[in-house]
Amino acid sequence: MKSHDSWSPPPAGFPTLFRLVGGVTAACALLVAAPALAETTLVSATSTTLFRIGHGDFQDSKNIDTAYEYLRLSVSRSFKDGDSLSLLAGGWLRGDLADKSANDRFTDADLQYGYLSYQRGRNNQVLNAGRQLVTEGVATERMDGLYLRSDLPAGFGAALFLGSPVVTEPNFKADNLVFGGRFTHTQANYYTLGVSALKSYQDSTRYREEEGIDLWLHPVRGVDVTGRSSYNSITEGWMEHSYRASYTPLTQLRLFANLDSINYRDYFFRVTTSALSFTNRLIDPNEKMLALGGGASFAPTDSLTVSADYRHYDYDIAGAADYYGGKLGFANPKYLSCGVAVHRMDGAADRLRYLEYRAYAAKSIGKADLALDLIDVRYDSTLATNQVKDAFTASAAVTYRWSDQLSFGGDLDYSHNPDFDNEVRGLLKLSYAFEAKRAAEGGAK
Amino acid sequence: MKRNNLIPMVVLGLVVQLLYACAGTTSIARVHPEPVQGLVDCAQCHTDRWANLNHRAPDFLAKHGVWGGTRAACASCHQESFCADCHAHKDDLKPSDKYKDAPERALPHRGDYLNQHKIDGRIDPASCLKCHGRQNNEGCKRCHR
Repeated sequence: MKSHDSWSPPPAGFPTLFRLVGGVTAACALLVAAPALAETTLVSATSTTLFRIGHGDFQDSKNIDTAYEYLRLSVSRSFKDGDSLSLLAGGWLRGDLADKSANDRFTDADLQYGYLSYQRGRNNQVLNAGRQLVTEGVATERMDGLYLRSDLPAGFGAALFLGSPVVTEPNFKADNLVFGGRFTHTQANYYTLGVSALKSYQDSTRYREEEGIDLWLHPVRGVDVTGRSSYNSITEGWMEHSYRASYTPLTQLRLFANLDSINYRDYFFRVTTSALSFTNRLIDPNEKMLALGGGASFAPTDSLTVSADYRHYDYDIAGAADYYGGKLGFANPKYLSCGVAVHRMDGAADRLRYLEYRAYAAKSIGKADLALDLIDVRYDSTLATNQVKDAFTASAAVTYRWSDQLSFGGDLDYSHNPDFDNEVRGLLKLSYAFEAKRAAEGGAK
Repeated sequence: MKRNNLIPMVVLGLVVQLLYACAGTTSIARVHPEPVQGLVDCAQCHTDRWANLNHRAPDFLAKHGVWGGTRAACASCHQESFCADCHAHKDDLKPSDKYKDAPERALPHRGDYLNQHKIDGRIDPASCLKCHGRQNNEGCKRCHR
């Protein structure tokens, strides 16, 4: 046996692959071959098949007859000590039966997530390996990699992640290594405070370096404050301050306020699409936005809510704008959900002066669910909207629940807007859910 | 690997294990003990910090990003696919197109979003970046070349 001093690393590229494959294989083996330890095993899968018919949004997409298959799988084993091991995966497939519907391809597919998760019954300890969404402070990242979090003594907690970012790159190359973490302190009755950092590289070049603080304060019953500030260490400027507060003095009444401040130069520093880059001048790097808003909601009954909201946008370069309005909503999941909303946008630019109306209803009758949604945007000026005064969309949907596992239905969508005189599209939907539970003694439940 | 590199790693591992052993908290329930349906107001049962998670509140969507730092709490009721409906790596269909049968849900981009995205992109492009800055943006290239 070699001593540690004489140990030499395997060839480049081998260890990472070996560890990844080895880790996944070991976890799969544990998942499959641990019946003696398992208390229950739950397997669930969902298949949703969609068939879309109609005309596409673009000139190169004339007739859209597209089939989609969304698949979701979850296999979870719970152990007697409260621990669990899960395999979670979800993705979709697309096939065009007529013209190309998207991205200049007749077929497409994507794995949205696919990872093994080991969760302990104590300390909220989690170890995830695979494609996953990480949400820790400054990081809201989909990556192929490892994620570890745990509670620590005295109310502290820590999370670490390392992996390869899962991004799309239509115009610009992105990073290929990302890592970071978040350190929190929680006093369950009062607050959670977090500091977090993220660093990424494109090959050996620094690509992103972000640090931030986040908070969730609830010092007294009815008061709730959330927020975060993010700093860009490469551009050396604050990217974002985003804070929201709410106060519920009565069970029925809720008051809320929000503040958002964005420095475009720091915030839009790394993107992969020209739509949000500085290159085509849609985004001015010298712009700064400050948005302040607030509102109130009143719920005289458990089902009924009336709300009003206001938001003021202020810019260093562009003109200011105000967005305000109200909504009346009724929600009783067993019988009926419906609502009406009216909002007004008042801005300096032509495009930013319009009235927005919405009315919707969803009702269950026996095994059938019916839904109707009407949205209309009426512009003050037609200069920026192809001389069209309004954009109107009406959609109706019906779903029949054949059983707890199987449902099918469809929807029809009509639009009249600045881009299309009349557009009609349909979508058929078939959903099947499978679930099986097996207890330690071997009997299916 | 040198021995002097191995020692700090072993010490770090032991410290992590010690901290883990001392924390002594109970993990958040993986499955919510009571089944819930529709847009729930958690304050109807909870009196602790979870009472703030009123899904019907007008500011719930704006706040959920920070609450998302406690994913285990969300996962008590929501599966991973629930997040992926909106937070997609790439997806041809808008969330609101997939769920026209649920108009009460606060899903982004309802109605004619082709025209509206020019307005939203002007008023608050930062709201676009969160989902489309580095992923789910292949469709942008059709016009934004």
